[in-house]
Amino acid sequence: MPVQDLTSTHGAPVQTGALSLRDAAPRLHLRLTPHKSLTPEGFVWFIGATSLLIVLPLLSLIGTAVFWALLPFILAALAGIWISLKRSWRDMDIHEELTLWPDLIRIERVTPRKPLQDWEANPYWVRVAIHPHGGPVPQYLTLSGGDRQVELGAFLTPQERLALKDMLERQLRAG
Amino acid sequence: MADAAISGHDHDRPGFFTRWFMSTNHKDIGILYLFTAGFVGLISVIFTVYMRMELMEPGVQYMCTEGARLTAAAAGECTPDGQMWNVMITGHGVLMMFFVVIPALFGGFGNYFMPLMIGAPDMAFPRLNNLSYWLYVAGTALAFCSVFIDGGAGTGWTFYPPLSTQDVATSRAVDFAIFAIHVSGASSILGSINIITTFLNMRAPGMTMHKVPLFAWSIFVTAWLLLLALPVLAGAITMLLTDRNFGTTFFDVAGGGDPILYQHIFWFFGHPEVYIVVLPAFGVISHVVSTFSKKPIFGYLPMVYALVAIGGLGFVVWAHHMYTVGMTLTQQAYFMVATMVIAVPTGIKIFSWIATMWQGSITFATPMLFAIGFIFLFTFGGVTGIVLSQAGVDRAYHDTYYVVAHFHYVMSLGAVFGIFAAVYYWFTKMSGRAYPEWAGKLHFWTFFIGANLTFFPQHFLGRQGMPRRYIDYPDAFALWNYVSSIGAFISFASFVFFIGLIFWAMRYGRKVTEPAYWGEHADTLEWTLSNPPPEHTFETLPTREMWDRTPGH
Repeated sequence: MPVQDLTSTHGAPVQTGALSLRDAAPRLHLRLTPHKSLTPEGFVWFIGATSLLIVLPLLSLIGTAVFWALLPFILAALAGIWISLKRSWRDMDIHEELTLWPDLIRIERVTPRKPLQDWEANPYWVRVAIHPHGGPVPQYLTLSGGDRQVELGAFLTPQERLALKDMLERQLRAG
Repeated sequence: MADAAISGHDHDRPGFFTRWFMSTNHKDIGILYLFTAGFVGLISVIFTVYMRMELMEPGVQYMCTEGARLTAAAAGECTPDGQMWNVMITGHGVLMMFFVVIPALFGGFGNYFMPLMIGAPDMAFPRLNNLSYWLYVAGTALAFCSVFIDGGAGTGWTFYPPLSTQDVATSRAVDFAIFAIHVSGASSILGSINIITTFLNMRAPGMTMHKVPLFAWSIFVTAWLLLLALPVLAGAITMLLTDRNFGTTFFDVAGGGDPILYQHIFWFFGHPEVYIVVLPAFGVISHVVSTFSKKPIFGYLPMVYALVAIGGLGFVVWAHHMYTVGMTLTQQAYFMVATMVIAVPTGIKIFSWIATMWQGSITFATPMLFAIGFIFLFTFGGVTGIVLSQAGVDRAYHDTYYVVAHFHYVMSLGAVFGIFAAVYYWFTKMSGRAYPEWAGKLHFWTFFIGANLTFFPQHFLGRQGMPRRYIDYPDAFALWNYVSSIGAFISFASFVFFIGLIFWAMRYGRKVTEPAYWGEHADTLEWTLSNPPPEHTFETLPTREMWDRTPGH
């Protein structure tokens, strides 16, 4: 699922009387990831079937010099598709993590080969807005607070962003 | 955290040079592939017209050692120049196999429509895509060199040793041809890795492998075949290159090598290659038949698994190209039966197309005419394929014009009718303009008649025993050679008419704004886009309602 709820259901927040409640379990913890259609099982199946068929011509060449001349080309092709599929997964390893405590909301965005981006604000003042048109994607979801306006889940589908907005508003106003 | 960008991202439209020479956009690269393949196709077809002129009458009138002539009336003595003929057939074969049909169907339509159909914003590796295209252009240039330098490469597109390892000192043409295939092979391998990754990892949410449109499936299977077959070809021709230039003896009996081994590994590549040529056409035909019969495609899952089965079987039948090299009876029996088994998945596809048309509401628009033409011609070529698959019968037909007729029916007519069906089906989608329907129909009928007139009589010639790859023939074969040449001229005229039609329609055709202009049964994702599609498509993933026509399946 592109929107994963990591909020722990047990361990309800304990009132300690301290100023910050940040050490307590967060009220909401979400991880947003883009859709990847290749599963790890799919990777194994594809590489397995490809390897089986590609070594077929080698069977008839065992014991000849031609075998050794052909082998590097076949291994190179296998390495090529292996690396490409892995690379494609890594390119999609972008994810956003949203954590909400009663007095703090924090979003982290992890992009491969780039520094971590983050944003923090007090949930009381945060405004959630959806922009059906005009944004880079339809139903563009933004959060304003702490002098900045940031986007959330731009890589999700429009429906998922709408659902995410409803969930966020419920949780932000819950306290 | 990324700051919001409400104002949108109106980045500048790229200039002409940036857009077409440094393109990373899959749609632009697809169009580049189509135009380049069209140009190379024209050159390659001109070769054949010259060949058919030469074969029109017994004797040699045009390809003379004294110089190539364009009119038979040219004065003077004419000594037949067999090498020129050999260079023509080699050039035609190499160009058509590596630089025309695959780039058009796989590089062109595959690049353009496969990502659209699965709802991907672009290919997985856009810059690699650009590299693939320019390697293809470079390979084409090398292939042209192999025709024109040092008397040209005249070995046939298969480059069998020991013929291809001779005359290294006097001619570099074969080396150029080998490099051309190396470069185009690198281009195709990179392209296929790109397409496989895109197909496997970038399908829209909910689009499982059993819900992907058939054209996207056919492109994926084609990419997979390329990935499996091309390294073997690259290895084979590299060994040929070292045999020619560095004194190795992989295929030289004098040094302990075996020339038959070359044929085995060449055809291990070569047979999948013919499926690589025709499978994308299968995908196109499925969509066209369904659209113009106003019915969903009959038997989607059998169609998918027939594609996969044809691809898989393609790897275990290679030696039927070389029954006459001296194999054991058991080997021949195996390759014969395995070859005939291919008729089963192919039959599933053909019957499913017919079942799709059955009780459909059929419109005979130009793409549908080409699709029906494809089904007819491909089935015809398939039937002669069954004849040729029999090791005993093949002893008589091997290297005769019967084989020429067979493979032109399945590939030239089959794949090329698939290309034309795709061009007419998607032309308005790609250009935003309509072609005149009468012109498309005129093109179809002249091409259908011309192509059949060219290749049908070649069955008779083959049965009479006329061998292929010769510049001349005895008077007894004159009649059907004459008819065949007339057919070739009609086909050529219709091809030139098609080129004119495309350029006219791109400039002056009626503008079409309706996204799904072929009606509601053109229902894959590309039909939700404008004509032509915007520069960036599906940057947000499409939702299931946009493409899933059979929910709950």
